Amino acid sequence: MPALVTRMQSAALIASAMVRSSGRRLRDFAAQLGSRKRPIASALTWPRPLSNMRSAGSELTGGLFRKYAVFLVALVGGSLLINALIELYYSYGESRQALSAVQREKAVGAATVIEQFVKEIEGQVGWATGFLPAGSGLEQRRLDFLRLLRQAPAITEVSYLDAEGREQLKISRLAMDTVGSGADLSKEPTFIDAKGKKRYLSPVYFRRESEPYLTMAIAGPGRAAGVTVAEINLKFIVDLVSQIQVGKAGMAYVVDERGLLIAHPDIGLVLRKTDLSHTPHVALALNKLRDATVTVPAISRDHAGREVLTAFAPIGSLGWLVFVDLPLREALQPVYDSLRRTIIVLGLGLAFAVLAGIWLARRMVVPIRALARGAARIGSGDLDHRIEMRSGDEVQVLADSFNDMGTRLKDSYATLEQKVDDRTRELSQALDQVRALVGVGQTINSTLELQAVLVAILAQACRLADAEGGAIYTFDEASNEFTLAATHGMSAELIETIRQAHPSLGDNGPVSDSALKRSAIQLSDVAAGPAWVLRDALLQADVRALLAVPLLREERIIGVLIVRRDRPGAFDQSIIDLMQSFASQSALAIQNARLFQEIEDKSRQLEVASQHKSQFLANMSHELRTPLNAILGYTELMQDGLYGELPRKTLEVLERVRANGKHLLGLINDVLDLSKIEAGQLVLSSEHYSMKNVVEMVVLATEALAAAKKLGFKIEVADDMPLGRGDERRITQVLLNLVGNAIKFTDTGQVCIAAHACNGMFSVAVVDTGPGIPDAEQGRLFREFHQVDSSNTKEKGGTGLGLAIAKRIVELHGGRIWVESKLGNGSAFHFELPIRARESAGVA
Amino acid sequence: MSKCVLIVEDQEDNRAILRDLLSTSGYELIEATNGEEGVALAESKRPDLILMDVQLPIMDGYEATRRIKGNVELKSIPVIAVTSYALSGDEAKAQAAGCDGYVAKPFSPRQLLAKIREYLPAEV
Repeated sequence: MPALVTRMQSAALIASAMVRSSGRRLRDFAAQLGSRKRPIASALTWPRPLSNMRSAGSELTGGLFRKYAVFLVALVGGSLLINALIELYYSYGESRQALSAVQREKAVGAATVIEQFVKEIEGQVGWATGFLPAGSGLEQRRLDFLRLLRQAPAITEVSYLDAEGREQLKISRLAMDTVGSGADLSKEPTFIDAKGKKRYLSPVYFRRESEPYLTMAIAGPGRAAGVTVAEINLKFIVDLVSQIQVGKAGMAYVVDERGLLIAHPDIGLVLRKTDLSHTPHVALALNKLRDATVTVPAISRDHAGREVLTAFAPIGSLGWLVFVDLPLREALQPVYDSLRRTIIVLGLGLAFAVLAGIWLARRMVVPIRALARGAARIGSGDLDHRIEMRSGDEVQVLADSFNDMGTRLKDSYATLEQKVDDRTRELSQALDQVRALVGVGQTINSTLELQAVLVAILAQACRLADAEGGAIYTFDEASNEFTLAATHGMSAELIETIRQAHPSLGDNGPVSDSALKRSAIQLSDVAAGPAWVLRDALLQADVRALLAVPLLREERIIGVLIVRRDRPGAFDQSIIDLMQSFASQSALAIQNARLFQEIEDKSRQLEVASQHKSQFLANMSHELRTPLNAILGYTELMQDGLYGELPRKTLEVLERVRANGKHLLGLINDVLDLSKIEAGQLVLSSEHYSMKNVVEMVVLATEALAAAKKLGFKIEVADDMPLGRGDERRITQVLLNLVGNAIKFTDTGQVCIAAHACNGMFSVAVVDTGPGIPDAEQGRLFREFHQVDSSNTKEKGGTGLGLAIAKRIVELHGGRIWVESKLGNGSAFHFELPIRARESAGVA
Repeated sequence: MSKCVLIVEDQEDNRAILRDLLSTSGYELIEATNGEEGVALAESKRPDLILMDVQLPIMDGYEATRRIKGNVELKSIPVIAVTSYALSGDEAKAQAAGCDGYVAKPFSPRQLLAKIREYLPAEV
């Protein structure tokens, strides 16, 4: 199962590599394909993240719609608003200036008329005040005055004061003429001012509570001249002012130099002697008469508190002012109208902008939404979905691109699926092949039965090559022939035919050809191919195509693998490659088997040789001992005097014979021991022993020798040593050897045997006072046939095998042996043995 | 009546040594040269002790010992094996075959005599 997962993952990897250009979603899909082991078809549904994306998309288009609409409304509305504001600003300024100009003009006109009116009356009054020749008397003046009244209808009453201020004449339209009344008016300001300033104008006053009047007094030339006082009806000015038409509610009015209202369309105001000096523009205008730098605002409030647009003009000589006021409401009416129009236009514009914005935004967003929906559907796997878009603009281009993408996705998707299928199939085949190869490898490793291995290989090869039959031939270099080593799906008849044919290297069959060319040869149609000796037999066995692959090992022909099909057709390169793998496995198996056979043969031979050697040794030992037995036995019997008393000299000879015989026996025993150890045939016995006993036995056997050489013998054995376990006889042999050597090589002094137990080991030392052993020799001492000095050996005897054997025995017990020595200072041979010898050390 | 010792030994030299040694020591000797003959003589002569060589023609010493020890009437006769290998294992083999003692070859006549005397105290 893990292998399957791997396969799926590999498929997913390949798939993801193929669609990398198709974007992340496809990769996700491929990854899913790898992670979930579900059928590919069901894996085609898209992963969830896309739906998230779709919802994000609809939010996005909503935002877009709002943005478009707001932008358009702001654009249109803003431009209209700015336009209106600018227009309002200018129209306000312009209409105010125009109105001011008109008002000022009217005011100036009125002022001019009033001034002319007053000047004319002044001229006429002045003329009537003129010097009269003496004697002409009052009558003349009366006639003049009458004429004045006729000429100047505004003059209601005219009177003449003489130089003393007494009234001489008074002619009135309303009363009877008075002549010479003599009323003293000299204290009146009329007379005083007129006499002082030539001319006097009184404040306006009213007669009959309805008509404003002005008293004008003009003094005649010279000190003696009198003063003419005329009462001037100002109804003319009132009419004039009332006639001035300023808009609908606008009016003109006149104030005198004190700010008192002189003329006003509303006569009541005049009659009430309204003082306008407190209204701001009047006060400022009066100030301006005295100080030209004062500026009078064009907008002010009238006496009633209404906002007015005002203009004024001074009546030069009188010091009066003509004001023309227009209520600001009326004055700005055009501006207000314009504002209303602008607001209406602005509202309409905004409404239009909103509608246009909605329409435009919808027009832009709706296709985008449709696009988003379509893209989402394509994205969600509906690759057949097409976005219908006939807007003829970029959006349509985009939609077409999406459709195109969908088509391509579908195509690549279809091919992807196909590719995944293909790769899965390929991988599955490859896996199958690998498994087969692994199986073959295991067969090769698990069995050394060549026949079984080859049959297994062949069966797998035929199965994977989709072949009905096949064979493995082995090649015999000696006979140059191919032998059938394994067959598969072949009739006994065909097998027999092939055996009979003895296919050999050099005949023109495919087996031989492939071996000679050292490469695979296939016959895709046996019937159509070249003829060779086995062709008819194969055709008869329904073989129509075959593939022969040589089994080679380092260019040597081992054999040939052949697979046969019962239908014509070429073998795929992949099959050929695979068969070559099988061929090399087969070659390996055959070679292994051959090598194994060789090794087996060799080891059998070795075993036989070893047995022979052991047998030889045993026999030799016996054969050598038998005569020795007689030699030693007879010698001993002779020494014992069994055959009569012998002369001393003869006994000495016999002793030499016996000693040499013993030595020879020792040699034989040593050689036998060593060869047994080397052959691994020395089996130690495992029994309880006492190291103390061992030492005592050795002492018993050697003390005579030591005594003979007059050597001291020192034994230092611990009393508390435990029982050991091992081969007592062999351990005795080791110690005997060491002590024997020590005695043998020591001429004076002593030999000491020390033994104690420590840390689970027996520690034994044999110390002598002999010549010592040079350092260089110490390492070689334990080798076979080695003695320190060969000249010495001859003298001392010994086989040179004793230490080697001792070393082996100690080591077999799991111990160690070594020497400590200094030339001229004696030697100390030590060995250590585990108290309980290792069971595994060959101790039986 | 001197004790009778059966020597089963194929080597004439060795028989001669034993003959010289034992006859001078006061034993009566009978000799066999192979295992089969040894068994037959043991049955017919009923010796007091048998010195049994191991390597013998026809029937080896172990087999001969087994036969003798397998015979109820001969069972009590001590058998000393004369092993020629002197290797570990031979002793055990001899014991397994039923030998009562063993002497390694080449033997010292003195030691052999000592061994025999363990089983057959010398006639006084």
